[in-house]
Amino acid sequence: MSGHMDISRNPGEAGQELRRIVRINEEIKSVVATAFKINLMAMNAIFLAKRAGQSALGFGVLSNELRRFATDLQQQMTVLRETTYGSVSTVTAQVKQSRVTRLLEKTRSDARGEGRAGIDRLLRSRHEAALTDSSDKISALNRRLSQMIADTTQLVELGSVLARSAKIEAAYGGGFSASLMQVSSDFEDTIGEIQRSLESLTRHQSEEFRA
Amino acid sequence: MKTARPIYEDDNHKWLAIVRDPDRPDYLIDTNEYLVVSNDDAILLDPGGSEVFPAVFSAISTVFDPRRINKVFASHQDPDIISSLSMWLEFNPQVKCYISWLWQSFIPHFGGQGETFIPIPDNGMDIVVGGLRLQAIPAHYLHSSGNFHLYDAKAKILFSGDVGAALLPPGEDGLFVEDFDRHIRHAEAFHRRWMGSDKAKRDWCARVSALEIDMICPQHGSIYRGADVKRFIDWFSRLDVGILKS
Repeated sequence: MSGHMDISRNPGEAGQELRRIVRINEEIKSVVATAFKINLMAMNAIFLAKRAGQSALGFGVLSNELRRFATDLQQQMTVLRETTYGSVSTVTAQVKQSRVTRLLEKTRSDARGEGRAGIDRLLRSRHEAALTDSSDKISALNRRLSQMIADTTQLVELGSVLARSAKIEAAYGGGFSASLMQVSSDFEDTIGEIQRSLESLTRHQSEEFRA
Repeated sequence: MKTARPIYEDDNHKWLAIVRDPDRPDYLIDTNEYLVVSNDDAILLDPGGSEVFPAVFSAISTVFDPRRINKVFASHQDPDIISSLSMWLEFNPQVKCYISWLWQSFIPHFGGQGETFIPIPDNGMDIVVGGLRLQAIPAHYLHSSGNFHLYDAKAKILFSGDVGAALLPPGEDGLFVEDFDRHIRHAEAFHRRWMGSDKAKRDWCARVSALEIDMICPQHGSIYRGADVKRFIDWFSRLDVGILKS
């Protein structure tokens, strides 16, 4: 994962990084909204399975699992959002630091005597601190974000399997089979939406490593 | 780079005006900073915006060790006055900032922490610099709602922030006012628009008329000295302020 952006050296890249984070956040919002929709759909499916009785027992179990999936997904997205907020804070701090460094370097070129020596010392200590402290912060946050997106993708894969299984169970739903089939198709479509959002999220996330 | 020009000197008591940066981009308003030195101590008045920090610091460092600056005075909260605070604190985290109590929780958005700020009460206070007693003189609503000027009774100099400021064209931007009538045309629109209260203006004129003043040093433009000090106060007292158009 080399070649990540170094905002402390190239402050112009901060705007690019912030725009990338905004795009990720927009996808997260879209997934959260869809997860909420799945939660409601699963609740309706549980009632429908109850009405269908014995013939839809398996469908009822899967609806319960889909509801749990929706809740887990919402929680996962909350943590993702917090992580992206952390990225914004880190980018902002680095932009501020890079501005201070730029002004100090400009000052050093003109300052004289003790003033210049003082600025030299300050720049040296800031450089050392930057090397040991902040230069890898954004990369570390991005690695964490990538890992979380990968975990979420796996979770959504599970949701997709649940939706497909619900579709199979719907076939055994007797007189309710058509309604259960409709509900399970809706699940499948909605989870498909989430998968597409996650693909975009992964794409935006990988933009960092192309820089 | 700006230049640091002595405007008063008496043994270990000095005033330096940090003025006129030929490299300043047009989109940044020109500012004057002043350094008051007394013995081993120094206070920087209206230290300026972040973008002019290199020019101000470098100009000071040609004539004075900037490590000795451990106080700054901000007449009010504007960015061209005090947004360089974070840079001064980078250089010396012990710097204290004197500013109206009204702004003490706003200015940390530029930099500094609670202990950085020494709030000035509405009726003003004395600020001691190397044994020299300076007075923070109330100038509220001229133009900021929490606004102070700084008077040095020994040097008979009044630092007047935005009062007396003039936006001077190239070629007419000398350190001192040389032709009052010509100069004041460049100050008129600024004062009409920026000074919001006629009552505050009259109060200020009465207050400073009672002081012995040899020089009025504004944050923009040229310094008034000698007879131009009284000329300026008279002119200002007659000016209609707080209006959009003349």
